[in-house]
Amino acid sequence: MSGDAPYLTSRAGILLLAPLVILLLLFFVYPLLFTLWNSVYEGGLTVRAYEELFTSTLFYKVLRTTFVISFTATAVSLLLGYPVALHISRQPPGRRVIYLTLVMLPFWTSILVKSFALTVLLGYSGIINQMLGSISGGQLNIPMVFNRFGAIIGMINYLLPFMILSILGSLLAQDPNLARAAEVMGAGRFRIFRKVTLPLSMPGVMAGVIINFTLSIGMYITPALLGGRQDMMIANLIDFYTRQTLDWPVASAIAVVLLAISGILVAILGKVRGSQGTMGAAA
Amino acid sequence: MTSHRLPSLAGALFVPLVAWICYLLLLIPTLIVFPISLGNSAEMEFPPSNPSLDLYRQFFSDPAWWGSMIQSGIIALITTVLTIVLAVPAAYALQRSHIRGQGFVQGLIMGPLLVPVIVLALGLYLQLGPWGGLNSNLTLVLSHTMLAVPFMMLSVGASLRHIDPALENAALIMGASKRAVFFRVVLPQLASGIAAGSMFAFLISLDEVIVAYFITGPDTQTLPVKMYSAIRWEVSPVIAAISTLLTIVSFVLAIAIMFLERNQRTNTG
Repeated sequence: MSGDAPYLTSRAGILLLAPLVILLLLFFVYPLLFTLWNSVYEGGLTVRAYEELFTSTLFYKVLRTTFVISFTATAVSLLLGYPVALHISRQPPGRRVIYLTLVMLPFWTSILVKSFALTVLLGYSGIINQMLGSISGGQLNIPMVFNRFGAIIGMINYLLPFMILSILGSLLAQDPNLARAAEVMGAGRFRIFRKVTLPLSMPGVMAGVIINFTLSIGMYITPALLGGRQDMMIANLIDFYTRQTLDWPVASAIAVVLLAISGILVAILGKVRGSQGTMGAAA
Repeated sequence: MTSHRLPSLAGALFVPLVAWICYLLLLIPTLIVFPISLGNSAEMEFPPSNPSLDLYRQFFSDPAWWGSMIQSGIIALITTVLTIVLAVPAAYALQRSHIRGQGFVQGLIMGPLLVPVIVLALGLYLQLGPWGGLNSNLTLVLSHTMLAVPFMMLSVGASLRHIDPALENAALIMGASKRAVFFRVVLPQLASGIAAGSMFAFLISLDEVIVAYFITGPDTQTLPVKMYSAIRWEVSPVIAAISTLLTIVSFVLAIAIMFLERNQRTNTG
């Protein structure tokens, strides 16, 4: 009836969008540009902050720590998340909702609550060490927080739902007739998984891995509360330069580096997911 | 045959086993705060030997604690309202008009999801300092709105795609103004999308730590900021009570969101 003519005039459209766009320009675009500006301007244009950064052993140490922790957490999250996604995808729709709820409730729990709970569970006088102590007569106490182990456990706990949801999406998108056909032709369960299910779920796996890794390298709360004091990650280093040494140009330069790395990862994610892909990064 | 069946049996057990271990690993940290919150205020105990509501009493008798809870609640409410007011018309405009730079605007709106929060927190801190915008409720609400907008857009956008534009045209032909069509035809159909988006927005603001930690001050400190400092310096048992309260709010809203999304799917087929 109205063909291709849009319902709203572009004038009306612009008026309706304007308030939101202004907010985002002021509170999203401007802070990013201002950070970039801060990293190169100290009374005149300079690359002092970047020079300082790239000659600092602390920066390289933090970068290495960040990548090692992020890689480990992502790998474990994949190994645990895949079977969970598989388990949920094999349920009838009614029960699938229940299992999804088990994944979504922790997903929506405050990261502070989860970090606090993990210190209570894993701490020096935490629940697990109390149990170990009473079994071993006070001999055994395993340090599980305020070290790398604690940071990784906390991150996996945060990352798993993202991995599960991402893989589940590509498992549920598969035509169940494919697996049935393979079964009719005499393929065993494991063979069906290896030859049909797994290859078809690779886009979900790739997306899940990139989302997990992108989230990991920017993590701040978990490493600060559960990690070791010597085991800073990039986000904590930004905070350190902002509050401790008050060197804002260097803090900004680190933020620019972090932004660039995440930007590359998000671009790869966009390629993996296709044109409408990047939106799923949060959900 | 047996040699073929054995690995397949192991495979059949392996998946549910790992899955259940993960469900427990995910849920235990969320649920353990409930029993611990019933302990006494001297030290953390599990299970509590003398279950009581002491920690809740301690929480509600300390104005520094419940004051920051009220502060967080108010900030989250205003953020939610502002997110609705800004994002619903914008989602409608993106769906029903063709403007130049539409792709850019869409990217801009989803942007806050893709940037590490610490980068935004630093940027806002550096920018708001010279503006005199630190330790201010206004800038806190605007920053939280920026973080919540993508979720509202996704939620309302999904609802919008399900409604039939023919209804709007019909109302227009019968003489309604576009404004009346929006408020009386479109908005009622978006109700569940807006409701889900509002709960997202409320939870995001209520639980947000990093930006608030950078830009709030003594007068505007939110509950998560106070909790973060408290957990960092000394783990006091009263945090278990606060955690339980926060978790109950998250659970109620998360279940409501899932219910709304399911309804939407079944209503539209």
